[in-house]
Amino acid sequence: MNSIALLGQPNSGKSTVFNHLTGSRQHVGNWPGKTVEKKDGTFTYNNEKYSITDLPGSYGLSGNSDEEVITEKFIKDGSADLVLVLVDASQLERSMFMLAEFAQLDAPAALILNMMDVAKEQGVTIDTELLSERLGIPVLPFTAADDKDYDKLKSLIVSELKDPHKLISVPETGSNDDIKDAVNSKYEWISKQLDGVCETKQKEYKLSKFDKMITSPRKGKIACIGIVLLAFIVSMFAAAPIMGVGAMIPKLLSEPISNGLSSLNVHPWLISVFSLIIPNTLYFCVAMGGFVLAVNIVFGYLEEVGFLARMAYQFDGVLSRLGLQGKAVAPMLMGFGCTIGATSGTRVMDNWGQKMLTMAVVWAVPCASIWSIIPVVSGMFFPAWAMALVILGILVYVFFMMWVVSKIFGKKLAPAETRTGMIMELPPYHKPHWKHIFKEAGFKSLDIFKRALRTVFIISFIFWLLQYTSTGNIEDSLLYKIGTAIEPVTKFFGMGWRTFAGFIGSAFAKESVLGVLNSVFVGEHSMLDATFGAHSGVDSATLAESMKGVISQAEALAFMFAITFNVPCVMALSTTYRESHSLKWTAKVAAFYIVCALLLSCIVYHVASIFL
Amino acid sequence: MKLSELKADKLGRVCALGSDTHFLNRITSIGLTEGTVFQVVRNDRKMPVLIYARQTLLALNRADCEKIEIEEAGA
Repeated sequence: MNSIALLGQPNSGKSTVFNHLTGSRQHVGNWPGKTVEKKDGTFTYNNEKYSITDLPGSYGLSGNSDEEVITEKFIKDGSADLVLVLVDASQLERSMFMLAEFAQLDAPAALILNMMDVAKEQGVTIDTELLSERLGIPVLPFTAADDKDYDKLKSLIVSELKDPHKLISVPETGSNDDIKDAVNSKYEWISKQLDGVCETKQKEYKLSKFDKMITSPRKGKIACIGIVLLAFIVSMFAAAPIMGVGAMIPKLLSEPISNGLSSLNVHPWLISVFSLIIPNTLYFCVAMGGFVLAVNIVFGYLEEVGFLARMAYQFDGVLSRLGLQGKAVAPMLMGFGCTIGATSGTRVMDNWGQKMLTMAVVWAVPCASIWSIIPVVSGMFFPAWAMALVILGILVYVFFMMWVVSKIFGKKLAPAETRTGMIMELPPYHKPHWKHIFKEAGFKSLDIFKRALRTVFIISFIFWLLQYTSTGNIEDSLLYKIGTAIEPVTKFFGMGWRTFAGFIGSAFAKESVLGVLNSVFVGEHSMLDATFGAHSGVDSATLAESMKGVISQAEALAFMFAITFNVPCVMALSTTYRESHSLKWTAKVAAFYIVCALLLSCIVYHVASIFL
Repeated sequence: MKLSELKADKLGRVCALGSDTHFLNRITSIGLTEGTVFQVVRNDRKMPVLIYARQTLLALNRADCEKIEIEEAGA
C-alpha cells in the first residue's frame, strides 16, 4: 500500500484535509516511545487503497521538539512515498518556511496551497504554474473546506506516486552551525521563488472593531468569558432535545420489559438487568452523548473561526503561572458543565504534556451535577447563610486544588524548559466549515457514546449486585456487609458506611450520589432506580429526615467536600485515557485525586467536629 | 531599543535577535528574522505584544520581546 504524509505548520489546515480524506478510517495513537500523537488513516480512490499519516504540526524542522524530531526522521527514513506539504496561501511567504525546511530532506513532494479562498478574498493572486516550474514539484491551489477540491487532490496523489517529483531548487546551506545564516538563506530562497509569483503589498494592518475589543486587556477578558458562557448556554439548549429523548427511555422501556419478562417466568435477576440496568444505561449514555456532541460543535466552531486563539492571548499570563497555555481556559470553563466534554475539548492543546496537564487540572472543576447536589445536601444540614459559606468554600478550594495539581504534575508534564512564553499566530477570522465541525464532533461523541455503553453497563451491574437483596432489606446486601466492615477505616476519614457508599457512587457518576444516599438512608428505592436520574424518585424531605437522624453536620460537610473533589466520574476517566493514550498517567492522576479527597474529608471532618 | 518599548501603530525593523538556540528557532520559524519589517498592533501592559509581520498577526510574550532588538522604521 502506498503511503502518503501530510506536513504543515499549525493552522495550515492539515487536520481538515486528513479528516476529509480518511473519514472514520483513522487510528490515533502515540509515536513509539514518545508522547506525541500519531494519526494514521486510509482512503480508497479508484479501488486503490492508500495509507496516510498526519505528521505532528510544528513551525519548522530544526529538531527543537519531539514533534520536529519525529517528523524529520519519518521523512528521512523514506517512510512516505509522497509528502504533501501544506502551506497557507493567504500568508504564503511565512508559511513557505516549512517547505524551505523540508527541502533539505530530499523526498518526493507536492505543494498544496491551502486557503485559496481566503487569499482570493484578500486580493492575493498566485501564479501556481510559474511556482511549480521553479520548484520542480506540482503546486495545487486548494481549499480544504471545499469538497470539490478533493478529487483534484486525489488524482494528483495518484499521478505523483506513479511519477514522483523532488524539489529542483533548495536553499543554500551555509555553515550549518549558524542558525541565523541558515534561516536567512531560507527566507531569501523563499523570496526568490515567490518573486513574480505572488504580489504581496505590505500595507498597514488594522484590527477590526471586534478584534480591538477582544484583544483589549480588561474588556477583552470580560468579553471572552461572556462568549464562553454564551457558548455553554447554546450547548445546553442544543443538547436539551437529545437529553429529553434519553430521559424517556427508562419510562418507555422499563415497565413493558419487566411485565413481558415476568409473564415468561424469567429469573428476577435477568428481569432487573433488562428492565432496569439496560434502559438506565441507555438513558445516561444518550444524555451524556448529546451534551458532549453539543459542546464539541459549539467549541469546534469557536476554534475554527479563530476565537480560541484570541482567548489564548488573553489568558496566557494567568495560566502560565500554572504551567499551562492560554488555550487551556476553554476546557477549564467547559468543566463547569461536564468534565467528559471538557476532557474531550483538550484536543485544542498543542502537545501531549499540555493536554494531560490540562485534563488533570480540569478534573478539579466541579461539573453541573455537583452544583445540583451541593445545594440539596447542604440545605438539609445548614441554614442559608452557612450554605453560601459551603459553596464559597468549595469554590476557593477549586482554585487551590488546581494550583496543587499543576505544581505536583506540572514539573513532569510541562517541564520548565518547555514553558516558553507565548509565540503564536492569531489567524484571521475564518468562515466556519460547518460540515467539518459537525463531522469531527460527531465522531468524537459517537466514540464516547459507544465506550460509555459498555463502561456504564458494567459499573451499573456491579452496583446493582452490591445492593441486591432478596429480602428488600438493605442490611442483607453486600454493600452493607462490606460497608460496615470497613467503617472503622472510613470513619477516620470522616465518613460512615452510608456516606462512604455515596462517595464511591460519586466516582461512578456524580448523578448517582442522591440516588445512592436515598437507597442507603431511606432504603425504599432500589438504588438503580434513582442512580441515574439525580432527583427523580428522590423525595428530599424524607431523605433529609433520615440523613439528619444518622449523620452529624461535620460528616455532611466532609462528605460534600469528598464527593466534589473525588475523581470526576468513570466516563471522564475513560475519556482522559482515550485522549492521553496513557493508562499510567490517567491512573496516577486518579489515585492522586482519590487520596486528596479522602485527606480533605478527614481534615474537614475533624476540624468541623471541633466547632459543630 | 527593545520590541517591548515600541508603541502601537509604529513600524519597526528587527536588528538583532537574542542568541539562545531554542528561542531563535522558534522566533525565526514563525517569520521574524533580522531585517524583518513589522508593525506593532497592540502593546498593552502585562499583555503579550501583538505585531503584524509577513502578512501574519503574531502574539509574542513580553519576556521574549526583551530579547528582540529593533529600530523604528519610517512612518
